[in-house]
Amino acid sequence: MTEIALEVRNLTKNYEQGQIEALRGVDLSIAEGEYLAITGPSGSGKSTLLHLLGGLDSPTGGEVLFKNEKLGNGVNLDTYRSRHVGFVFQAFHLMPTLCALENVQVPMLGVHSSASERADRAHRLLKELGMDHRSLQYPCQLSAGERQRVAIARALANAPEILLADEPTGNLDSVNSQRIMDILTTIQRQHGMTLIVVTHEDNIAQSAPRQIHMRDGKIERERI
Amino acid sequence: MATRLSFIGFVWKNLGRRRLRTFLTLGGIGMAIGAFVGLVGFSNSFEQAWMRIYSASGTDIAVVQQTFLNTSLDESATDTIRSLPMVAQAAPMIYNVMDLTPEVNALAYGWKANSYEFQSLHLLSGRPFHDGQPEVMLGDMLAETLHKTTGDTLQIEGTPFKICAVYHGPSALEAGAVILPLDQLQQLSSLQGKVSTIHVKLRPAPAGVSEETYMKRAEAQIEAALPGLRAVPAEERASDNQFVKLAHASAWGTSSIALLIGVLGIANTMAMSVFERTKEIGILRALGWKRWQVLVLIQLEAVTLGIGGGCAGIVLGWCALKALAAIPQTANIVSASINIGLLAKALGIAVFAGLIAGALPAWRGAQLSPVEALRHD
Repeated sequence: MTEIALEVRNLTKNYEQGQIEALRGVDLSIAEGEYLAITGPSGSGKSTLLHLLGGLDSPTGGEVLFKNEKLGNGVNLDTYRSRHVGFVFQAFHLMPTLCALENVQVPMLGVHSSASERADRAHRLLKELGMDHRSLQYPCQLSAGERQRVAIARALANAPEILLADEPTGNLDSVNSQRIMDILTTIQRQHGMTLIVVTHEDNIAQSAPRQIHMRDGKIERERI
Repeated sequence: MATRLSFIGFVWKNLGRRRLRTFLTLGGIGMAIGAFVGLVGFSNSFEQAWMRIYSASGTDIAVVQQTFLNTSLDESATDTIRSLPMVAQAAPMIYNVMDLTPEVNALAYGWKANSYEFQSLHLLSGRPFHDGQPEVMLGDMLAETLHKTTGDTLQIEGTPFKICAVYHGPSALEAGAVILPLDQLQQLSSLQGKVSTIHVKLRPAPAGVSEETYMKRAEAQIEAALPGLRAVPAEERASDNQFVKLAHASAWGTSSIALLIGVLGIANTMAMSVFERTKEIGILRALGWKRWQVLVLIQLEAVTLGIGGGCAGIVLGWCALKALAAIPQTANIVSASINIGLLAKALGIAVFAGLIAGALPAWRGAQLSPVEALRHD
């Protein structure tokens, strides 16, 4: 029987002292190894939901459970982010002063491992993503698609169970978009990871076995 | 071979991002530490020079009142001290700073003609002065500054004095000074019958009695014979006199102002750096870095600036001391060598300056919410 990786109960998130209601009571269960796409127009709350699922922010009301333990109470948010979740951002967010290989090692600096282990793992991940020949290049020397591949390698650095991608193809052309999605879905299958992708591109959303569509801070519809 | 990223390596790369700003900050803290090393090193040398005066003449104890410069110690106390069994010799004297020309002022010592202090001087020309005569002996450094030699006349506060000798002393505090008969300096200073201090040379300690015990006994004996006066070991007196205290206070005061400016420089750099890297701090937090790790990263950057500036400052201060040690006017006072204590103090202050300067920016960086930091432009 498949275990629940993440569960959301009556989740609300308000900004500016309640004047903006980004999420209005969202309930959601995500199984281990599931691939979920979250779609919706701008301001629908999909990124806010992703941030709460990733422990980047705390909800105003309701709760997020990781393997039946509440984030922030049972599970420390820093530990959750460093050990269990990997983030891929639309804008890549690589450190400009570090080369690709060093960027992949950044999350590993926060956990206990030797410098050589960190470097070896970063090298393996870049190789897995076909970026080993560009490992000593700095972000400014890489194409957008290459930067996103480095960002994916960085997200995988601490072998997380959950991969969260916020508009991962938003800054890419169609060829690179398809390539990045192929990489993400391949990794999800090979590693049995839970993959949650926020997107407003229909073709990407349709590649996911399960999709939820959000509007005005609520799940409007779900398709499996 | 894979490139390894370490915490320190990350710190280094962050500092290297804004090279000009980093170098300017290093320059600021380097100047501050350089000022500290130079000034405190100079004041320490000054203290050592005083110590040389005492050790060269063989003085064991200085008898003084609480104040140093404007003391009104009776000269007659000299006889009481001489009568004590442990005392070999006693020399009353006055120290003062006199204007010799509008541009030159110098230390003036008033000694008795038979003072044992003369043993530490080497006469280069002339003869020692006689008590009661308007005669002076010039240190060679001062003679050079004044362009005077034996046989010339020197006006001190309107009174003409014949230069009866030029001597070389063990430190610049004597080589750059003028020595005149005690009675003459008492008259010039309106201190008839008064002296600044009485230097005491003790008889050798009897067998089986330690130097320390013997010294304590002598101090007690003198203080018992002369109630109200203090018998201070020469070593303590060298570091405890007003001139040295003033030098130390000036050195620390000036250095403190320079250090404050240096700290503000690092604080400004780190505050700018944290502000510019708000989004990156958000990324680090999103990647699982804990608050304390962000805090340590920023503090390490600040401390690295402190250490870098500290090392540069030590070199700068050492060069300044070396230059002073090469100038004839200060050569006998200043030593170009930096002792381990001063080195440790300078580095300690540099590290502390980095920690203090980085504290607020580091705390602010660590408090950033990951999601808010990621939204920062």
